Amino acid sequence: MNEKGHHPAPLSPVEQRVAALEALLTERGLVPEGFIEEITRRYESEIGPLNGAKVVARAWADPEYRERLLTDGTAAIAELGFGGAEGDHMVVVENTPAVHNVIVCTLCSCYPWPVLGLPPSWYKDPPYRARMVREPRALLAEMGCPLPGDVEIRVWDSSAEVRYLVLPQRPPGTGGLSEGELAGLVTRDSMIGVARL
Amino acid sequence: MSIPLSLLDLDLPRRNGELVFDAPWQSTVFGLAAAVTDNAFGGDREPFRQQLIKAIAAEPARPYWESWTAALEALVETLPERRRP
Repeated sequence: MNEKGHHPAPLSPVEQRVAALEALLTERGLVPEGFIEEITRRYESEIGPLNGAKVVARAWADPEYRERLLTDGTAAIAELGFGGAEGDHMVVVENTPAVHNVIVCTLCSCYPWPVLGLPPSWYKDPPYRARMVREPRALLAEMGCPLPGDVEIRVWDSSAEVRYLVLPQRPPGTGGLSEGELAGLVTRDSMIGVARL
Repeated sequence: MSIPLSLLDLDLPRRNGELVFDAPWQSTVFGLAAAVTDNAFGGDREPFRQQLIKAIAAEPARPYWESWTAALEALVETLPERRRP
């Protein structure tokens, strides 16, 4: 608190609009006490790519789990305790030496929230949403993920009905690692499909 | 088969992530949309999603959370009038 604390910065137009929405919705009884704080806390601290990393590590370590994951992603992910809103129809697509998968949402920002958290800003931006469909190989190369010409790229457009998660290839030389150590190798970008491990 | 608790120390979401929200109003409008979805639409996300699609299509270059705000404003317009006490 300095001397200027008596005169807080005026709200920007969008801040005013959000404050108006909050007042209106609270007045109508649609925002339970503490709801916003709780959901923000959960997305900032509990729901994030670590969840997806655990799913991937389990699939690498347990072939039967991998089978279940590729057959019914929603159920296999729920085995690890992840699911609910924004992830009720999860489809897991597996990278192989011949096929590279990448996810996008061309219409808005659909994303497998329970396993990856909230989408990164570039995922929501028009260039990614348009170019990943039109020229995925060029865009992946620009994003630091160049692929050999003989690797097929499959682009999966997320929707309200289906959310995709990429199962990256297990890196070579990781045979001796525990499941927990394997999870530590898995990055968010590899599960979106814009990076390889 | 359980994951060791030490995994929690890896701090993965931040190592490979970005700040989830850049400003408090962004987390507020995110939470408000979740609250309306839960409490006015019985958890059905489709009404909000349709508004978000429209808001993004209307101004593709607008910052994402501002489109989210516009979508929520439009969704609120569709709510039935509150009954007078």
